Amino acid sequence: MASKKAAQKSLSLAPVLDLNEATALRDKLMALKGSDLAIDASAVERVGALCAQVLMAAAKTWEADKRSYTFAKASEPFLKTMQLIGVNIEHLLAKEIQR
Amino acid sequence: MDMNEIKEIFFQECEEQLAELESGLLKLNDGDRDPETVNAVFRAVHSIKGGAGAFGLDDLVSFAHVFETTLDCVRSNKLDPNQDVLKVMLKSADVLADLTNAARDGGGVDEARSKQLIRELEALANGEMPAASEAPAAKPAPALVATPVADDEGFQPIPFSFDDFGGEEKPVEPFAPTCEILFHPKRELYAKGNEATLLLRDLSRIGEMSIRCDMDSLPPLEDMNPEEAYFSWKISIATEKGEDGVRTVFEFAEWDCDLEVRTVEEDHEAEAGKDELPMQPVPFDLSILDDGDDDATGEADEPAAPLSSANTAAESNVVPIAAASRAEPSRSEARAAPAVQQAAAAANPAASAASAAAAAPTIRVDLDRVDRLINLVGELVINQAMLSQSVIENDNTGVSSINMGLEELQQLTREIQDSVMAIRAQPVKPVFQRMSRIVREIADVTGKSVRLITEGENTEVDKTVIDKLAEPLTHMIRNAVDHGLEAPEKREALGKNPEGTVRLTAKHRSGRIVIELADDGGGINREKVRQKAIDNDLIAADANLSDEEIDNLIFHAGFSTADKISDISGRGVGMDVVKRSIQALGGRITISSKPGQGSVFTMSLPLTLAVLDGMVVTVAGQTLVVPLTAIVETLQPEASAIHSFGASQRLISIRNSFCPLVDVGRILNFRSTQADPVDGVALLVESEGGGQRALMVDAIQGQRQVVIKSLEANYTHVPGIAAATILGDGRVALILDVDAVVAASRGQSLKQEISLAATG
Amino acid sequence: MKKKVLTVDDSRTIRNMLLVTLNNAGFETIQAEDGVEGLEVLEEANPDVIVTDINMPRLDGFGFIEGVRRNEKYRAIPILVLTTESDAEKKNRARQAGATGWIVKPFDPTKLIDAIERVTA
Repeated sequence: MASKKAAQKSLSLAPVLDLNEATALRDKLMALKGSDLAIDASAVERVGALCAQVLMAAAKTWEADKRSYTFAKASEPFLKTMQLIGVNIEHLLAKEIQR
Repeated sequence: MDMNEIKEIFFQECEEQLAELESGLLKLNDGDRDPETVNAVFRAVHSIKGGAGAFGLDDLVSFAHVFETTLDCVRSNKLDPNQDVLKVMLKSADVLADLTNAARDGGGVDEARSKQLIRELEALANGEMPAASEAPAAKPAPALVATPVADDEGFQPIPFSFDDFGGEEKPVEPFAPTCEILFHPKRELYAKGNEATLLLRDLSRIGEMSIRCDMDSLPPLEDMNPEEAYFSWKISIATEKGEDGVRTVFEFAEWDCDLEVRTVEEDHEAEAGKDELPMQPVPFDLSILDDGDDDATGEADEPAAPLSSANTAAESNVVPIAAASRAEPSRSEARAAPAVQQAAAAANPAASAASAAAAAPTIRVDLDRVDRLINLVGELVINQAMLSQSVIENDNTGVSSINMGLEELQQLTREIQDSVMAIRAQPVKPVFQRMSRIVREIADVTGKSVRLITEGENTEVDKTVIDKLAEPLTHMIRNAVDHGLEAPEKREALGKNPEGTVRLTAKHRSGRIVIELADDGGGINREKVRQKAIDNDLIAADANLSDEEIDNLIFHAGFSTADKISDISGRGVGMDVVKRSIQALGGRITISSKPGQGSVFTMSLPLTLAVLDGMVVTVAGQTLVVPLTAIVETLQPEASAIHSFGASQRLISIRNSFCPLVDVGRILNFRSTQADPVDGVALLVESEGGGQRALMVDAIQGQRQVVIKSLEANYTHVPGIAAATILGDGRVALILDVDAVVAASRGQSLKQEISLAATG
Repeated sequence: MKKKVLTVDDSRTIRNMLLVTLNNAGFETIQAEDGVEGLEVLEEANPDVIVTDINMPRLDGFGFIEGVRRNEKYRAIPILVLTTESDAEKKNRARQAGATGWIVKPFDPTKLIDAIERVTA
C-alpha cells in the first residue's frame, strides 16, 4: 500500500467559514475524499455552525473510510468557537497543537 | 451633527413629507387610484410619525398614528378613498401640518379640531362612512368639548436620546438560577443570517454554561446538504437573568428553531438531568470571537463619546456610495471607445439617465452661503464694470486683445451671475401647495364648493420672491373664493357647475415670472364697484369710467365689494395691500374681468431681487436709478404741455389727458426750488393707485442692469430710496422707491386725478 | 477592523440618527435611501450587517431583503429591520422575507447597537 502514504493531502480553510462557504467547503472536502487529510485552520477568523457541520460530517466520513483526518494547525478563534458550540475536536488535533 | 441639527433636518423633512402628503391626497381626490400614490401618502405620514417618535413629540405621534392607521385601510383596500373620505384626510393633513409647526415653533393648535378629526379618522378605519352632508356646514366643535381620545393601541413612543448610551446598571441579583435549554435550529435560521455560534456566544455572556452538541443526525459528507441544520444543542446555564434572559438571547431566532427553556430547581436535578454524554463547560473568555474589537461590544455599556467630538467622525465615516455609484456609468462610458462602441455608449447614458431620474442628485446648502456667493458675484460684476470703464478711459490705443479679454470677462461674469442666481431659484410649488389648503378652508367656511387647479408649479423664481408671494396670493385666493365665486345654488341656477374653479398658473415670460389667478365666478360687478366708489367719495357721481378703470378701483385702499364684511376677506386688508406687496417685489398686477364668467388677476414679477433693470438718471447732480418696470414711457415735456395748478402743483398734458408732475429733486430735498420741466425729462410711471404720474428728472444717462445693495443692511432706511447700487465707474447710485416718492408728492386726491383723467 | 453597517432608510431624519449613533459606536456607516439604492450599493459597500426600514419608495424593505437573500454573494449578511411599532404582522413578513432580526423604532441607541452586536461576529 505504497499509495496510501502518497495520498496524504492538505486543505487550508478560508478565514470566514459562513453560510456561503459551507457548500464550497463540502465540495473541496468531497474532492479529497479517500485521502488522508491534514487541515490547516490557522487562517480561520470566523466559524459558523454550518461549516462546523461540514467539517464534522467529513470527520465521520473519513473515519468510515479509515483515513486520517487531522487539524494540523488551528487558529485561536477556530478552537474557541468549536469549544463554545460544544464540538469536541480534541481527538482530531495534530499532536503538536493538542493541549 | 447634534440632536438639534437632526431635529432641524426632521422638520425640513416634515415639510417635504407634508407637501408629498397633500399632493398625493389631491391626486387621490382627482380619482387617481395608483397604489404607488397611496403608498407615498402612507409613507409620508409614517415617516413623520417615525421621526416625531424619536424626538418624543407625542401629540404629533398620536395624531400621525391614527392617520396612518386609516391610510393603511386605504392601502389594503379596506377603505375606498372617495371624496368624503378624502375630505377628512385633507383636513387631517392640515392638522398634521399645524401640529408639526406647533412642535417646531411652539404655540398651540386647535385641539378641538384635531380631536374631532381623530374621531373621524377612527370612524373611517372602523368602516363607518362620514356623513357627507355634515361636512361643509359643520363648524369646528367648541374647544371645551374634550372627549377622550381613543387610546392608540398601546403604541408608546420611546423618546430618543443619545444619553441612553449609558447602560442602566441593574442591581445585580445574587441568585442565579440554572436553566436547561434545548436548542435545535432549523435550516431557515441560517438562511436568514442568524448564526447558532453567535447565539451561543451571546448565551455564554449571560452566565456560566455547559454545552453538549448533538451530532447524531449528521449524515456522512456525501449525503449532507451543507446548508441544512443538523446540529442541536443542550445547554445548562446559571444566569441571574433567568428564563427570560435566555429567551431574549434567542429573540431573533425563535421562529426558526425549536427551543425549550426550563429552570432547574435543584443542583441535584441538574446533575441527574445530565445524561449519557457529559457537557463541556464553556468557561473561557470569548472576546477573541468578537472580531478583535472590544470597543464595539463595550460600547453598549460605556457612555457615548460627547457628541461634539463625534461630529467630525460622523462626517468622515460616511462613504459617499451614492456619488460613487453614479460616477460609475460615466467612468465606463469614458472607457468605451466612442466610435466602435456606439451602441454601448448609447445604452450607457440611457441607463445612467434612468438612474439619475430616479434620484436627481442634489445637495443641501445653507441659504447664507448662497447669499454670500451672490453678494460676491455682485461685487465681481461691479468690479468688472469698473475695470472695463477704466481700461476704456485710460487706454485709447485700443489694444484689441485687452478689449477682447474684457469682453470675455464680461460675458463670463454675466454667466456666473446667472448661474448663481439660478441656485436661489426655486419652483413655486410650495406656495401653490399652500394655496390648496387656503382654498379648502375658505370653501368650508363659506359653504362653497371649490376646485383649485394649479399649473406650472415647477416654474422657478428667486426664493425671496416665493417667500413674499405667499401673503398676497393667499389674500387673492381668499377674495376669489369669497367674493369671486358664487354660492353653489346660485351657480346651479345660472347653469354653471355648482363647483367653482380657481385656476392658479405660473409661467416664465420674457425674463419675468407671470402668475395668473383666474376664477370662474361672477366677475366684477362693475355697477356695484362704481356705486361703492361714489359712496366712498372715491369718484365723482358723474364720472365716466371705462370698464378697465372701474375694475382697477378695487385696488384702492379700503375698498370692499362684499355686501357684508366677512370673516375671511374683511380683515381690513384689501386689494390695495396686495398691489403694494406685488409692487414692492418689483412686480405689477392687472385685472381683467368678464361679467358672469369670472376674473383673472395677472401678476408679473422679476425672477430675482438681486439685480434690477434700471434707468440711470441725473437729478440735481445726483445719479439715481429708476426701476424700469415702473416706467411706462419717457417724454420730453414742452412748455405748452405744462399747466400750473393750485399753489405749486403742476400738470403735464399727455395725449389729451393730464398727469401730475412730480419733481423728484424737490421730494428728495436735492434742491429747494422747482426745476423747470422743460429742461428735464419726464418719466411716466404707474402709481400705486393705478393712475399715472410724471416724474421729473434732469437727464437720462441710460439703461442698465444693476446689482441691488440693501441700504438698510449697510446704512439705514432712507425715505424715497429703495436701495443702492454701485455703477461701473465706482459711484454709488441710489435706487428710487417710486411709490414712496409718488406718495410723498400726493397733494391732490384720487378723486380729482380720476375725474381729470376722465374728463381730459 | 471597523464593522461596516449599511443602513437603508428614506427618512433623512432617521438616516442622520443612525449615522450619529453608529459612528459614535465605532462603526463605519454606509447609507442608502431606498431598497433599489440599497441593492445597488451592496457590492461596493460589502457590509457586515444591514439595517433597513420597511416603508420606502421604489423598493420597500421586504423587497430589499428578498433581493439580498437572492444574491449569491451577499445572502449571508445579517439584516435588521427597523419597524415603527412592534407590529407582529410586519415583523412576520420581514422574517419571511429573510430578516435576521428587528429594531423597534423609535430606536434607542443601546438597542440598536445591541441588536447589531447580536447578529454580527
